[in-house]
Amino acid sequence: MSPSLLVMLTLMVFPLLTSVWLSMQYMTFRNINEPEFVGLANYVAVFEDLKFWNAFSFTMTYIAITVPMYISTGFLIAVLLDQVSRRIRGIYIAAFLMPFIVVPVVGTLMVKQLFESGGLVAWAYRAIIGSRFILTEQSVKSLIIIHALWAATPFPLIVFFAGLQTLPDELVEASMIDGATRLRQVRHIMIPHLRSLFVFVGLISIMDAYRVFDSVFVLTEQNPIYKAEVMMLYTFRTAMSVQRLGKANAMSVITVVMILVVLVPFLLRTYKEQTEER
Amino acid sequence: MKRIENRYALAFVYLLLTCYALFSVIPFFWTTIQSFKTPRQANSRAPLFIFEPTADNYTDLWLKAIPGDPMLVVIILVAIFGLLVMVAINAKRFPLAPGIIYLAVLAVGFFVLLQIPEYVKTQTFYDYFLNTIIVTAGTICISISIGCLAGYGLARYSGIAGVIILVAALGFRSLPGMSYILPYWWFGQRSGLYDTHILLIITLVAINQPFTIWMLRSFFMNIPKEIEESAMVDGANRLTAFISVIIPIMWPGIISTALFTLLLAYSDFLLVRILTQSNWTLTVAISKYAGGEDPGHITLGAAAAVSAAVPIIIVVFIFQGQLVKGLTSGAVKG
Repeated sequence: MSPSLLVMLTLMVFPLLTSVWLSMQYMTFRNINEPEFVGLANYVAVFEDLKFWNAFSFTMTYIAITVPMYISTGFLIAVLLDQVSRRIRGIYIAAFLMPFIVVPVVGTLMVKQLFESGGLVAWAYRAIIGSRFILTEQSVKSLIIIHALWAATPFPLIVFFAGLQTLPDELVEASMIDGATRLRQVRHIMIPHLRSLFVFVGLISIMDAYRVFDSVFVLTEQNPIYKAEVMMLYTFRTAMSVQRLGKANAMSVITVVMILVVLVPFLLRTYKEQTEER
Repeated sequence: MKRIENRYALAFVYLLLTCYALFSVIPFFWTTIQSFKTPRQANSRAPLFIFEPTADNYTDLWLKAIPGDPMLVVIILVAIFGLLVMVAINAKRFPLAPGIIYLAVLAVGFFVLLQIPEYVKTQTFYDYFLNTIIVTAGTICISISIGCLAGYGLARYSGIAGVIILVAALGFRSLPGMSYILPYWWFGQRSGLYDTHILLIITLVAINQPFTIWMLRSFFMNIPKEIEESAMVDGANRLTAFISVIIPIMWPGIISTALFTLLLAYSDFLLVRILTQSNWTLTVAISKYAGGEDPGHITLGAAAAVSAAVPIIIVVFIFQGQLVKGLTSGAVKG
């Protein structure tokens, strides 16, 4: 066990500590070898940076809109899929898993193809609304959200579907005899049965949505004009385009501290589960 | 569970499911169609479904110049890879261990791929493809070997420290990538490893390690302790018991974990984008087609997206059983 511990320490803990150290330096691409110590100045700069707070608020909006949306869609589709005969399920599952299997950047590019000039959706848009589909702040933001629904729904869907398979038949049958409607079955039997899965999927989804990068990078074409920057993308630009490495590290330290709000309950929950299992 | 019997209600269920299935699949369908069009056709006012397909986008993407005798090259490549696939399928009939045959097939296949640029003028896109293979294979080998030792140790060790390590690993896995990629970038710049495969592999191993440890541990937990205990009673020490008794039983679990590591390493974008200058992998290379003024970028981008998706779909298709096993075992908590 000790060699793996050593590997983990050097590969993960050490970079995190380095990040904290780098966040207190003034560093551009020119002075990588002799950075200048500036203390907490980078943190002050981040807190005073309006663009950072814009990115923060867009990230929060993104989480608030997409996570409930794809968890409820995933749940709905899982419940419906449960009603379908076994033979046909396989085909549906294969189709549903396609966005999950394909590489995120490729998937984003494929969704974007629909909206390019000459694309299927761009054409439908012109036919229905009458004007050309162009990239604006609004449309780019909606694209990001549509893509999130497309790419992220398979995960809750599969988890909930697997959870529904463990639902005891007797429970459902008993409720049928008592005259429960379908809707009340979902409300009073399925949702309570899946409660712990909802918590699990919810926490994972929030953390994944919080660090979203690939799709936003591709869909905004790195253009800040759309004001659709998420925190990861802004940190990336600060480090790689603006070349303020100290400030970018300060940002990433701040983002890590912020996500602890979700991460700590998640880890405590896992810890409890694991200690009970032993 | 008791199903819906009302015919109209059931039809409605199928309708919703089919709509959602179409929503999932349409981007693939459309991108594939676009990739066989000329830029003019792809930009037509109404979407074209019937047209004369062209392979120009793919040849432009992969080749600098079309070889003098294209059919000959295709026939030779099909013959070599067909032979390799046949050998792999029939590996159990050879007198050697199947594992050795698989490794040999992979090694020969990779060697052939490396040799192709000597005979055919390939584009840089082909180099990115090779980079992807090297980085992915390196990451899988290293993180599986470390992960096996760690996962086995943690599965057999029952103290509280083991749980703390596991939970900490999960925590690292959930952090936003920037927090460790930027330090690795700095480390790469200082050490001169920036833009090399080695740095990419080290970083990818670091990121995937928590995940492989969790997954392999859950597979090791399913193997009863008595198996290696009986081997040790027969005079094997713990290491030989591990290598000669446990690992052979573990193969399905190892393949499952390797498959998820492959998906993670193949798809990583942010990390490769930051840690490389020119030694890109496919994911970074294709992000270049995300936009641009040139009308050709749509069809070329479509061809690039399909080219990057096809290898992963083939791999998933071959190992679909393991994928489902991994997904449903609940081990996928990354």
